[in-house]
Amino acid sequence: MTGTILALKDVALTLAGNAGMVEILRGITLDVARGETVGLVGPSGSGKSSLLMLMGGLERATSGEVTALGADLTAMNEDGLARFRRGNMGVVFQSFHLIPTMTALENVALPMELAGVGDAFARATAELQAVGLGGRMEHFPRQMSGGEQQRVALARAAAPRPAILLADEPTGNLDGVNGAAIMDLLFGLRDRHGATLVLVTHAPELAARCDRVVRLADGLIVGEGMV
Amino acid sequence: MSLLLAARIARRELRGGLAGFRVFLACLALGVAAIAGVGMVRSAIEAGLSEQGAVLLGGDAEMAITYRFATDDERAYMATIATQVSEIVDFRSMVLVGDDNRALTQVKGVDDAYPLTGTVVLEPAVPLAEALAPAGGMPGAVMDRVLVDRLGLTIGDSFRLGLQDFRLGAVLLREPDSATGGFSLGPRTIVLTTGLAKSGLIAAGTLYDTAYRLDLPDGADLDGLEAATEAKFRDTGLRWADSRRAAPGVERFVERIGSFLILVGLSGLAVGGVGVSAAVRAYLEGKVATIATLKTLGAEGQTIFQVYLIQIAVLSGLGVLIGLIIGAGVPLLAAPLITAALPFPVAFGLYPAPLLEAAFYGVITAFLFTLWPLARSQGVRAAALYRGAGNAGWPGLWHWVAIGILVVALVGGAMLFSGSANLAAGTSGGVVGALILLALAALGLRRLARWAARKSFVRGRTGLRLALGAIGGPREEAMSVVLSLGLGLSVLAAVGQIDSNLRSAIDRDLPARAPSYFFVDIQQDQIDGFLARLADDPAVSKVESAPMLRGIISLINGKPARDVAGNHWVVQGDRGLTYSDALPDNAKITAGAWWPAGYTGPAQISFAAEEAEEIGLQLGDTITVNILGRDIEATITSFREVDFSTAGMGFVMSMNPAALNGAPHSFISTVYATEAAEGPILRDLASAYPNITAIRVRDAIDRVTEALTAIATATAWAAGASLLTGFVVLIGAAAAGVRGRMQEAAVLKVLGATRARILGSFALRSALLGAAAGVVAIAVGGVSGWAVMTFVMEADYAFEPVSAIGIVLAGILATLLAGLGFALPPLMVRPAQVLRAEE
Repeated sequence: MTGTILALKDVALTLAGNAGMVEILRGITLDVARGETVGLVGPSGSGKSSLLMLMGGLERATSGEVTALGADLTAMNEDGLARFRRGNMGVVFQSFHLIPTMTALENVALPMELAGVGDAFARATAELQAVGLGGRMEHFPRQMSGGEQQRVALARAAAPRPAILLADEPTGNLDGVNGAAIMDLLFGLRDRHGATLVLVTHAPELAARCDRVVRLADGLIVGEGMV
Repeated sequence: MSLLLAARIARRELRGGLAGFRVFLACLALGVAAIAGVGMVRSAIEAGLSEQGAVLLGGDAEMAITYRFATDDERAYMATIATQVSEIVDFRSMVLVGDDNRALTQVKGVDDAYPLTGTVVLEPAVPLAEALAPAGGMPGAVMDRVLVDRLGLTIGDSFRLGLQDFRLGAVLLREPDSATGGFSLGPRTIVLTTGLAKSGLIAAGTLYDTAYRLDLPDGADLDGLEAATEAKFRDTGLRWADSRRAAPGVERFVERIGSFLILVGLSGLAVGGVGVSAAVRAYLEGKVATIATLKTLGAEGQTIFQVYLIQIAVLSGLGVLIGLIIGAGVPLLAAPLITAALPFPVAFGLYPAPLLEAAFYGVITAFLFTLWPLARSQGVRAAALYRGAGNAGWPGLWHWVAIGILVVALVGGAMLFSGSANLAAGTSGGVVGALILLALAALGLRRLARWAARKSFVRGRTGLRLALGAIGGPREEAMSVVLSLGLGLSVLAAVGQIDSNLRSAIDRDLPARAPSYFFVDIQQDQIDGFLARLADDPAVSKVESAPMLRGIISLINGKPARDVAGNHWVVQGDRGLTYSDALPDNAKITAGAWWPAGYTGPAQISFAAEEAEEIGLQLGDTITVNILGRDIEATITSFREVDFSTAGMGFVMSMNPAALNGAPHSFISTVYATEAAEGPILRDLASAYPNITAIRVRDAIDRVTEALTAIATATAWAAGASLLTGFVVLIGAAAAGVRGRMQEAAVLKVLGATRARILGSFALRSALLGAAAGVVAIAVGGVSGWAVMTFVMEADYAFEPVSAIGIVLAGILATLLAGLGFALPPLMVRPAQVLRAEE
């Protein structure tokens, strides 16, 4: 592990809710080293997912600084952030978020198409075979099980070989067997590509597989430690 | 690269099918179909008129004269340019059967050469020459079936025109040159001109037109001949027409009414635009997760915009194509019916121009109404994936510029295509104004409903409170219903108000002021006896008579009249003029002075004040009037008020008697009598003076009313297309609201509401929204009706409640049908199904 790949400095996030402004994150400072796996844990509403979204540039901090691969994400606009994510970041969601009108292959190839990669479909094919879905390439999301959809989502996140993998409760919608398989795949991909992995999870056994666990409560980091 | 990728992603998205776009496609297709359909019929008529120009005109060219036959000079000229000439004389007369059976007819006297082109169709199918040939000492005649039936004639029966008896040789089914005759009050009778010699109907001073149909050599230079003829005979009242524009009156009418109906169709497309916009908004709302995912994967806002713009473009193309197929197909299928209903030739076919026009309107409207939601889709943030869509923000500057350009293109296109910038601008302004008014009304309705839902009078009335709460709530139902239904109903309301006001002006007001009869062609030796018959009749309240001549204003202050007055109606063709020694009783001088009694100096003329002002005439100006080939120059010494609206006697020009000394003329008379006395008066006068033609004003009014009814019906059909589109939008809105209503019904059932109560609440909100759309439509229709009656028709306006009530009821019925048609799923659903799925 050499150098910091993700750095958050005194980051706050306040969002408008039905009952007025809600402070989601209240001054988070956190460094993630290159190649590290970090588990974000904490009760519901503690701000884990919001913190992950800030790291991915999917959410904009109200104050503070978010740096990824040396670039200041808070200074970028929406399009700048989108361009930055291409090839640098892969995101996996609890609800998969595959594009329903595209086949598994097209879903996996899409980020590489957007990045202008010439052999996007060849690489997508290889990635789908790697997650065990070589026979499901032309299937649409609605024709696949939850576990299979999440495997496609993993392949989509990993295919562009991003430096950073962000996963928001990737097993949250899956049963125990499928969840375990997905986690094996996720950590296997990380090991194969040497990416940095930040993972939001409720599951202690998953957190236990990370290099470091960061505990949040009420928008603050309340504990941190090496596993 | 970005565009290619956007196209690839768009193609993948569209593979999902068109389920979310049925309303989009229906709205666009209906609007385009209505416009294309009207355009196709218009083109078919124009092509028919153009192709059949020579037949309609009765020759390659026509030289027409009023009030006289051609001079020797003119005949010689015709002989030099034409290979064959046919002479027609046309006038109104009374046809008499037996002693007492009379009717007005439009007589056409023809020669042996008639018709030079086309065929006269008769029943029985005999040649025209055979039907017109004298038999049993009487010349033959053919007569329109309407008149034959009205008079109870059969083939071989005799009837009288003036002093001449004729024998009915055949029934006239089709007259090839009928469309060029213009508006006529009586059905047609055709005889040989030679047969009219002893009728006493064509005398110096009587009112008749002559036309000389010319068969020109092949390849004749029509432009050159027209210019040469106009130059040679310009001031003699001789008018040139040729097969290029054989029926300019019909052509102009068809062009105008076609343009107007297309503009009404455009308002239907605007209604469709509301549906298109709603459909795209709903579609993009369903795509928030996809858009956010694309952004997460690195797609820029521009790429997202392109992805959905391409999809909308493809779907718009499909919608327009469907519309064009319907718009072109329906007139082709209905061609036999339309051809049979129209009195002029119609050449149905596939005409690209109206289809291109409709496609243009369709494409521009589709983009105009979708650009806003498309622009907002670009603003969807990646964070929407885990915490809802949030506010996508307003479109950027370039989107506003694009929307502006589309509006200008649409209005500009309408101005260009309609050929009448004022009409297009007025209609576009009206549509935009109505849409703004309807949107404001919808917002007002929501606020009112929200306010009323909290008031004490709705407590205990749960159904009403629920309905008011739903109308005033955050859903877009009120806006969608009022906008979609309101515009179609507004056009219908305006048509209803204008139509009923015109009818009441004609039915109620005009007969009270208008005379019972016009009598024309009263000869100078008949006028005293004519007036004597009426003087002692107690049923006659008033008789006006005046000498009647017809002349053409050829020069104004020595310059050609058309150069001075442009296209003013007074200088187009011949005008009636009269003379009078003393100022008539009902005349009012507005400037200058009437000539002294017995004045015999240089000719003086009194001109209608309003028309003089329009042309720019001043006291002291000279007017040269050509009467029967003779130029009479007179100085304007007074202006008079002339009221043409009462159907009474009104002459633009009146001269001092000495100025017209010796000019052959007849008298015209208006008779005001009770309705019961009309029959006996006609009987007496027509028996005593067979050459006199009586025009019953009530019949003339009926003809005008018929024409107005046809226009009102055509407009109502076009407005019906708007209403149908509005109904589709309503159905779309109702379908889109099913999920929300299922949830509402589930919660209400949990709280103890019965299905009847829930249904009652749904029905009540539909009825309230429909009634609101109807009320707004009445306001828009009322204002439009008032504006048209006041500024265009220059008549009084009175609000007409019957059609207004009909509009409100139509609004309620439409919303009830659309709303209750989708009420079943919410009523049938078990609460647990909905509520569990939400968790």
